[in-house]
Amino acid sequence: MSLETYKHDMLRCTRCSYCKWIPFENFRNSDFVKGCPSVARYNWHAYSAGGKFNIALSFLEGRIPYSDTFLDAVYKCQMDGSCDVSCKSVQDIEPLQLMQELRIKCVEDGQVIPAHSSVIEGLQKTDNMMQKSRNDRGKWAKGLNVKDLTKEQAEVYFHAGCKYSFDEGLWNTARDMLTMLIDASVDVGIMGDAEMCCGGRAYELGYKDELIKYASRHEKTLKKAGVKTIVTPCAHGYQTMKVLYDKIGKKLEPEVLHITEYIDRLIKEGKIKPKKKVPLTVTYHDPCHLGRLAEPWIHWNGKETKVLGQLIVHDPPKKFRRGANGVYGIPRDILKSIPELKLVEMYRIRAAAWCCGSGGGVKEAYPDFAIWTATERINEAKTVGAEAIVSACPWCTQNFRDAIKETGEKLKVFDVMELVQESI
Amino acid sequence: MELTDLEYKALEDIVGSENISREPAILETYNQVWGNKLVFGQKWSPRPAAVLLPGSTEEVQAIVKACNRFGIQFKPFSSGFEITAIGLVSDKAIMLDLKRMDRILEVDVKNMRAVVEPYVSVHRFQVELAKYGLYYGAIAAGPSAGVIASACCHAGSGQTNVFAGAIERNVLGAEWVLPTGDVLKLGTAASGDGWFSADGPGLSLRGVLRGHCGANGGHGVITKVSVKLYPWYGPAELERAGEIPAYRAVKQVPDEYKVFVISFPTQDNGFDALAEIGKAEIAISDYQIPLPPGGNLGEGNDEMWESMKNLDEEARKMFATMVIVIIGSKSKRELEYREKYLLKIIEKFGGSLPPPLNAPMVQSGLFDASMFSFGSVRHVFRLTSDFFINPCADASEGLIKNLHRAAKEAMGPYWNNGTILQVGSAIFHPVYENYTVGAHHEDMYMYDPYDPDSLEGTKELVSKTIDPNGKFRRLGVPCLGGGLQFEPATHIHQTWGPLYDNYDVWQRKIKAALDPNNTADWGCYVPPEYP
Repeated sequence: MSLETYKHDMLRCTRCSYCKWIPFENFRNSDFVKGCPSVARYNWHAYSAGGKFNIALSFLEGRIPYSDTFLDAVYKCQMDGSCDVSCKSVQDIEPLQLMQELRIKCVEDGQVIPAHSSVIEGLQKTDNMMQKSRNDRGKWAKGLNVKDLTKEQAEVYFHAGCKYSFDEGLWNTARDMLTMLIDASVDVGIMGDAEMCCGGRAYELGYKDELIKYASRHEKTLKKAGVKTIVTPCAHGYQTMKVLYDKIGKKLEPEVLHITEYIDRLIKEGKIKPKKKVPLTVTYHDPCHLGRLAEPWIHWNGKETKVLGQLIVHDPPKKFRRGANGVYGIPRDILKSIPELKLVEMYRIRAAAWCCGSGGGVKEAYPDFAIWTATERINEAKTVGAEAIVSACPWCTQNFRDAIKETGEKLKVFDVMELVQESI
Repeated sequence: MELTDLEYKALEDIVGSENISREPAILETYNQVWGNKLVFGQKWSPRPAAVLLPGSTEEVQAIVKACNRFGIQFKPFSSGFEITAIGLVSDKAIMLDLKRMDRILEVDVKNMRAVVEPYVSVHRFQVELAKYGLYYGAIAAGPSAGVIASACCHAGSGQTNVFAGAIERNVLGAEWVLPTGDVLKLGTAASGDGWFSADGPGLSLRGVLRGHCGANGGHGVITKVSVKLYPWYGPAELERAGEIPAYRAVKQVPDEYKVFVISFPTQDNGFDALAEIGKAEIAISDYQIPLPPGGNLGEGNDEMWESMKNLDEEARKMFATMVIVIIGSKSKRELEYREKYLLKIIEKFGGSLPPPLNAPMVQSGLFDASMFSFGSVRHVFRLTSDFFINPCADASEGLIKNLHRAAKEAMGPYWNNGTILQVGSAIFHPVYENYTVGAHHEDMYMYDPYDPDSLEGTKELVSKTIDPNGKFRRLGVPCLGGGLQFEPATHIHQTWGPLYDNYDVWQRKIKAALDPNNTADWGCYVPPEYP
């Protein structure tokens, strides 16, 4: 893959602007119909996916050079994939992949921004995205009686991810999740200080080599630990191990599951029983990396051809990833299983969800934009009468908490697993 | 040509530094749109000297006055989804991206009208109106089109015009920043009596405002419009089932509506039935649009082709003569009456309701496609990448039949040699608004601008259909307003005006009166001077 691969798509972007909205079929409330935080916040067409097609084409044709504005448009974007879903509801082109390749090209050409460089330097030194010491990675699990996969084998590997490992405010949640698995007699282990970043966020920033590096390292380590299933509470890590590793030809042998998927199985098997009442009206925020971006990768090798004169088709037929096959139902099923908990839906949900604001390196480089995006979502949650917004990704929950702290809102924020824990 | 620092600063002072840009990376996203390759020979039209994001009428007014002062041309747009929106003539021109003016200002439920700003899209509007039991009308350009753009600025038509009127005739008032920077209000809005009649008391310039094709920004900026609304019989919020993209459609057609997909023995039978249904005043939607089977619901071209390729001749014919009718009413009795009447018309013209075309899932998809124009981008762009429309006319039913035959004659060789994809001629609806408008007809052809044979064939075909001395002369002035009207390339007014009462002379007089300094970009309106 390269930027040039998508020249066909750049030429065929019609400027319909669907990428700016959630799919029209999903419009439910006229105040909550925007899909792309970037163009909603900065207004210029360049900040939309359509604009990225334009920028990329003009760049390839030598009409525009790199500039601060160019990079601003490229990096002030959560890479959340909303544009991809809307565009591909009517087209057979790939906006998100183009945007990924555009970032990769920028990095290859040294066109990076300082905030991202610092994070990547930290990653290269300490194997985490939080710029923290490698030796502190396992602290969150201190005192838990759990297998150490660097020394012994287990069926299930609990991969906490960078955020849960280093954000002390999230440690209790991570510990509770792991304890739930242990209490349900799951043969589970962790890597402690030896756990490493999945490389997914680095890839999203445009650092392709980091993804390849961590995919290879995970492949090796997990084989040695005899792991059959990877369970992670980090939506980003889940998407990386399940989708991105496959994309780059390094699909892991173990099954990759998000914690909600695994807990849902345990609930259905009767091994976990939410019993206590949690009388709360909540709304569920679909994390992009668990939802539309988690759709399995589809490999295709073929060529574009034509029938009926000019109808563009593919040989062999090409199946596009259009966002429909993410994990949407399971977190909702879990919430519905909690006694007296009332789930109300926001207007932009599932593949059409509004992003929390944290992804794509935005939280690291443009924290005000991340907070603005989260605040939009919090307003939506309040409009539907929710007392709490619930998500299944630490990056989302933390960004919502930051936004609430900054704006003085009263909405509560939970991870799905926190509510399960409260109920058992 | 770049703006001088003085000029730029003057504009910046109006909108603020965050709402103006002359950065190449920004400007290069305001000159790429479908159709450019056909007209300009490349993906790019001329790059603007700057783009501005005004947030109010006052800012628009101040910008326009500054343009007059400095000799800069301007072009406003809302969604920007056409050459007519972003094609520029002058190399010293700015664009006004009206994205920040996106408010639904008023919904007057009792009087069935609403006032909106330029960046209110048709579907966002519909969703808001449904809460009040109101409906605006579909524009075939699709749900992303601006309400103001479709009502005041471009030529366009929609699948529910038989019920909700021709789109351009729903204007009840407008606030218009003229190319001089003066603000004009039309009709009752000007006399301060509310925005309920564009014809007065007060100035009535509805014809000048848009004519048939619209001025496409060539005579100023429409900053507010009041439009007439129609009843919505369905629920305040429609429940849609399935995941996008393939099967996301209304879960079921609301009880207050019924969808009929009718096949007729011949296309002429279909046309006659369309007209009769229109005259009967029983339909919400009444049109023919021969789609590739699965075109509306298919996930992508490959899936669509899969469903098409094994169709036998009989089935293909069924799709080619397909007429879609939607009836509706709040009253069950009235709905029954309308259905009975419709069935009699179907019988009269030998029509049938083939079960596969009337399956619930197909009906749900067609309900969305007809009432809200979902799928229009799928139909016209995904198939081959680009499309063109000509002829495109609002005319009597007799002329429509002739037009259809002539267009088929013109296009036939090109779809036979594979230059274009022909999915059929589309009669969207007979518009029998006071029996004065007649039917709307478009002949659409899909081509691939990045396939040299397809591009050259399409250019040749376009040249033939806009040739004032060719076969199409008898069919009237080509109306390219909803497609690719770009005067410096097509010279429609210059070459066709003398054949039709020198209408262009009057059009140019209007332009000169409204825009003495030639400040509003005229590329998609009328040239002040002919080359």
